[in-house]
Amino acid sequence: MIEVTNITKTYDDGKVQVHALRGVDVEITEGEFTAIVGPSGSGKTTLLNIIGGLDTPTHGEVTIGNTSIASLSENELIDFRLNHIGFVFQSYNLIPVLTAKENVEFLMLLQKKNDKERDERTTQLLKAVGLEDQINKKPNEMSGGQQQRVAVARALASKPDFVLADEPTANLDSKSTANLLDIMLKLNEEENTTFVFSTHDQRVIDRAKRVITVEDGKIISDHTK
Amino acid sequence: MIFKIAFQNIWRNKLRSWVVILAIALGIFGGLAVISTATGLTKMRQENAIKTYVSHIQVHDSAYLTYGRLQDTISSEKKIMQFLSLHKEVAAVSNRLKVESFIQSAGGNSGVILNGIDTKREKELTNLSELCEKGNFLEVYKRKPPIIISQKLATKLNAKIKTSIQCSFTNMYGEATTGVFKVVDIFSSSNSMYDELNAFVRLEDLQSLSLIDGSHEIAFLLKDDKKVEEFREVLLAKYPNQHIASWRGIAPELGYADKMMDLVMTIFLVIIMLALAFGIVNTMLMAVLERKKELGMLISIGMNKRKVFWMIVLESIFLALIAGPLGIFVTYIAVQFFGNYGIDLSFAAAGLKSVGLESTIFPDLNPMYYVIISLLVIVTAILSCIYPALKALKLNPAETLRTA
Repeated sequence: MIEVTNITKTYDDGKVQVHALRGVDVEITEGEFTAIVGPSGSGKTTLLNIIGGLDTPTHGEVTIGNTSIASLSENELIDFRLNHIGFVFQSYNLIPVLTAKENVEFLMLLQKKNDKERDERTTQLLKAVGLEDQINKKPNEMSGGQQQRVAVARALASKPDFVLADEPTANLDSKSTANLLDIMLKLNEEENTTFVFSTHDQRVIDRAKRVITVEDGKIISDHTK
Repeated sequence: MIFKIAFQNIWRNKLRSWVVILAIALGIFGGLAVISTATGLTKMRQENAIKTYVSHIQVHDSAYLTYGRLQDTISSEKKIMQFLSLHKEVAAVSNRLKVESFIQSAGGNSGVILNGIDTKREKELTNLSELCEKGNFLEVYKRKPPIIISQKLATKLNAKIKTSIQCSFTNMYGEATTGVFKVVDIFSSSNSMYDELNAFVRLEDLQSLSLIDGSHEIAFLLKDDKKVEEFREVLLAKYPNQHIASWRGIAPELGYADKMMDLVMTIFLVIIMLALAFGIVNTMLMAVLERKKELGMLISIGMNKRKVFWMIVLESIFLALIAGPLGIFVTYIAVQFFGNYGIDLSFAAAGLKSVGLESTIFPDLNPMYYVIISLLVIVTAILSCIYPALKALKLNPAETLRTA
């Protein structure tokens, strides 16, 4: 379970203070398919980054499972992300010099998984995202939609507790978006994978099971369908 | 996989990587080319000096070197000559009588050292006979005693082969003596200063004119030039009253050239490595700054900073490992080629000759330099990528993902 308690985040460049988050409380349980929505600058990406331990809150606490991520050192936090959190980024961010297969394998190598385990999971994940015939292609040889599907497979490779996806469909066309959402919903339903998105894409919002709306750094609505 | 990522990362900007690789390779080649040429020059100067006039070791009477008196001949000359002639380590030995003389012809005059030599022994010891135009090393003559002078001295005296030359000097008893010689050959060595100051006559002719029974100098070559100092010590222990000096002691400037070369080489290596370091720092810094977003992503998804650091270090090591052998290979080929065929500097022959050098330079490089350079290139590559790698470690993943 992800527990966000009274989080505030203020960016201060010495001249101007920007309050990105103002006292956010939220709980996300296992198996959710949640969208954090709101207009640009509302604080949804900041919230996602704080949940993922990429950014630190000015006040408040984030607890994942039984771990308060504020208590972790920098290296412990990196290891925690490796083993507990999967990330999908807006612009895919695959490693350009590696093939689809190698990109998916990469996190398992960091986890020191053996060859057999890596091979099996990579094949399984690329099959799940419908790219079993593209395993040897490098990112620049694939479409945006295909790259984002590889990114989803990579995010799941380390068997994380949940996947954080920052605007995953922002650069995709309608068909690729629908395809990606189908895959993620299937993984959510069949494997109980928890997905948390930040998005302002109505197509994602329509298919999310829970929608948390953020505006001016505050949660203004939170409803489960 | 870190190795694979690091290696493939350097080819993401092929042009930039090749420019850096070629710059490093050219730097290594340039530095080693200068070092090998300078080594070749030094070696040539030493070899020329040793085979033409210094030899490996010379023996003199101690007083002769202090006062320069004609009567200070080597007291144990016969014993020393016998010992050296029979010694298995000695390749050639010769004794000389040296008399300062005023030399004149119908066309000019000059001051020279008349060297009375044993032609047979001298032929084995030095290359003077090979430097003579006609190959007549005081062997063929008619009535007047023969003399060999240098081309430079011949020009000064307006003399040529068969010209009669008069040499005036003082004999053993301080009396003025004059000898008339006929030029039988003209030599030309690689050291114009030596040429101008020396002329050669038969030992017995000079002994007869100067009334000196003996010689002032014994010079000899060893079979193994690495044993010079060791042999000198042995001889010194056997003949403690003689002044026995190795070529380094006789012509210290030749030995200083060695030490000078070491200093020059060190300076060159430092310059090469500095250029290499700046090249790598610049390239890796650009590579890190260009890939901020990607590095931020790697840290975000769980690649710890130690691995990010090593990835950057590996990238620069790969650059160095490609550039280093390339530069060393090109240098090796060039040194081998020019070491055999030489670099023709005949356009500067006169200048080179005045400092004891020939106009064809044969570059020479101690193989140790290839090893030293290889190690230095790798060490420099590692050291110079530390700053860019530390820069990568300071990246804030959230910030790089947001701003890039």
